[in-house]
Amino acid sequence: MTALDDHIRQVTEFVATMRRQGRPVRQFVLPPGANDLRAGLPIQLGAGANPGIILRSETFVELGNPDAGSCGFALWTEKPSLLEDGRVTLIGPDIAESPLASLPFGQVVMAGGAHLIGDDQVSLGQAQVVADQIEGYMVRSNSRNIWSRVSKQVGARGFSFDTLARALMFLIKSAVPRVESVEIAFVTSSKGDVLTLNEIAESAQAIGRAALKEHWKARGYDLDCDLHCGSCDDKTVCDDLRKVLATRLRKDKEAVGDDAQ
Amino acid sequence: MEAIDYNMGTAAHDLTTLERKDKALARYKKERDWFAFLLEAAEMMDTPEGKLQVKLLNILLDSKEKVISSVMNDTPFVAAYFCTAPEILNAMNLPWFMIMETPFLAASAPYLLDDLRGAEEMGLGTDLCSAIRLPMYYIESGLMPVPSAVVGLLSPCDGTTMLQQVLQHNPAWKNVPLFAPDPPYTSDERAIRYFANELRTMVSFLEEKTGRKMDMHRLREVCEESNRTYKLWQEYNELRRAVPCPHGWEIGGAQAFAVSQCFVAGDPRCTDWFEQLLECGEIKVKEGRGANEYCPEKIRILWFDIMPYGWVFEFMPWLEQEWGAILVMDMFSNFPYTLIDTSSEETMFHDLAKRNLMDVPMIRQARGTAENFSSDIARMVKDYKIDCVIWPGHMGHKDGAATAGIMRETCRGLGVPFLHIGLDLFDKRYTSVDEVKDKVSEFFRGMGLG
Repeated sequence: MTALDDHIRQVTEFVATMRRQGRPVRQFVLPPGANDLRAGLPIQLGAGANPGIILRSETFVELGNPDAGSCGFALWTEKPSLLEDGRVTLIGPDIAESPLASLPFGQVVMAGGAHLIGDDQVSLGQAQVVADQIEGYMVRSNSRNIWSRVSKQVGARGFSFDTLARALMFLIKSAVPRVESVEIAFVTSSKGDVLTLNEIAESAQAIGRAALKEHWKARGYDLDCDLHCGSCDDKTVCDDLRKVLATRLRKDKEAVGDDAQ
Repeated sequence: MEAIDYNMGTAAHDLTTLERKDKALARYKKERDWFAFLLEAAEMMDTPEGKLQVKLLNILLDSKEKVISSVMNDTPFVAAYFCTAPEILNAMNLPWFMIMETPFLAASAPYLLDDLRGAEEMGLGTDLCSAIRLPMYYIESGLMPVPSAVVGLLSPCDGTTMLQQVLQHNPAWKNVPLFAPDPPYTSDERAIRYFANELRTMVSFLEEKTGRKMDMHRLREVCEESNRTYKLWQEYNELRRAVPCPHGWEIGGAQAFAVSQCFVAGDPRCTDWFEQLLECGEIKVKEGRGANEYCPEKIRILWFDIMPYGWVFEFMPWLEQEWGAILVMDMFSNFPYTLIDTSSEETMFHDLAKRNLMDVPMIRQARGTAENFSSDIARMVKDYKIDCVIWPGHMGHKDGAATAGIMRETCRGLGVPFLHIGLDLFDKRYTSVDEVKDKVSEFFRGMGLG
């Protein structure tokens, strides 16, 4: 499995930089067990937990509107020791502190497991798509960033980043049993901070795409096409044809020019 | 002198420039009149959805009128595509039409089958995508207005490139200046920057060949308006997650694609249309009403391609009436778009490049690597609570046919039934509508959906 250890270190460094620059950084550690994560949650969790949609008028807080700044990605490592299982880092205001606000939003999920395999990358990616599994939380159907809404109903019940982190960790550990440790970082401090985080995301995505290619290759499918003109046995024939066509086109144009005269 | 049959696609090589212009104009007006007829019908519907149709048709007709006026007055206009940054054309005040306009927008027009037959009589192979074959036929038979300049398309398939070759060899078109932005194969930052530069070159080309100038302030205004329409589109798409889905195949999805990209991109009338669409959707969601009041929703479908426009009225209502099967999402209704950052000229071109290289339908799936075939399906199935995925297997989408296995495996992993049919979205003679209905019925029954 492709490791993204360096990117995990970059996220750690990013958090340290934010702290040095005086951003409000809060960290807390959630329990490791899936059942412990679920216990005491003020919301329902699992398929169908959020059966409806959250309309604009029902929104308590909006996260990651592109105008405000948005970024979301997942990293994984075969060295669980790089992570502190259950640790949540929040840079910026919490949900409950920002009623009716539209906050910039960065979310990094980091998963570690000594026995993670290639397929787990796809499962991890899909586990990010929470769909209807978190009550009162709707991630809008946008492919690159995370743009989401927290409903007024669960906002009134104290939905916070603690709640969201518990829910995400539970869903990830349930979907990918080989994951031994999960850490999550949320950024809501400013658009600039989210964009800085996004630089790490872009370089990680390139590695992710390569791993995905391997995943499909192992199943007999090529996402990529290795064939190109330079590798084709008939290249000479095509080149000759092009020359013939170009000559014909030129002669046609010359003929039109002659007629015009 | 022998009278010219303006309605039929007879060979046009012997026509004078003026005769050719008249012939193309006659056909273009005929298409306009078809939509004007639909507008009259829509104006009789006193419902929010009826008003929506009226607004859409007015936008469409205005765009057609501008092209007609340009042809008649010999002022510049352009032939281009939905995926060649139409915001740029709007900012340069250049009327334009989509070269594949008829198969995409007017495929319900009563003359479509005649045109397909005409293409066959001309000798165009029936294994060539009908969406490509039709414009080739219109060009060769003089039924398409000859523009001042062409913005060509080199992706997502070989057919589009061939279309460019046809117009380069056609006597009436071969001296029309053509520029085709070169789409890179990859989808990384380097590719976006490369394509952004191609779009800048496209602007220089258009300035030189049409005499119209790009005003960056105007481009910013257009992109900001375009962003407003796209924001509303995404908001609307969230409504389609509701069970029951507020709209099916008739309202919303495909129209949203057309209004945002196919007539005039970044225009307040488009934003207004989306506001109306959102209002219609929100009312229905709040009231818990589904797409078809007479046929309760039983099966939520992802139709992963263009809708079968050539025979849409014979098939889609049947799906709802016979099976309660509602088209909740399709390839063209999906929203993978990110908004354009208008803070500088550089960011605008960067994001226009991204949108037209990586977000727009078909180009997104088939231009480069194939991962979007899988990831988009996975996302849509989860977000929209999809019960089954139908890959129609349009005969022209050979690129997609190569990835049917990836789509099938993805659906298997998600536990969602997958159907690959094999048909022509515009020509019902390829696989008859009855045969398609039979296959779909068998699939629903076999998978325990109906």
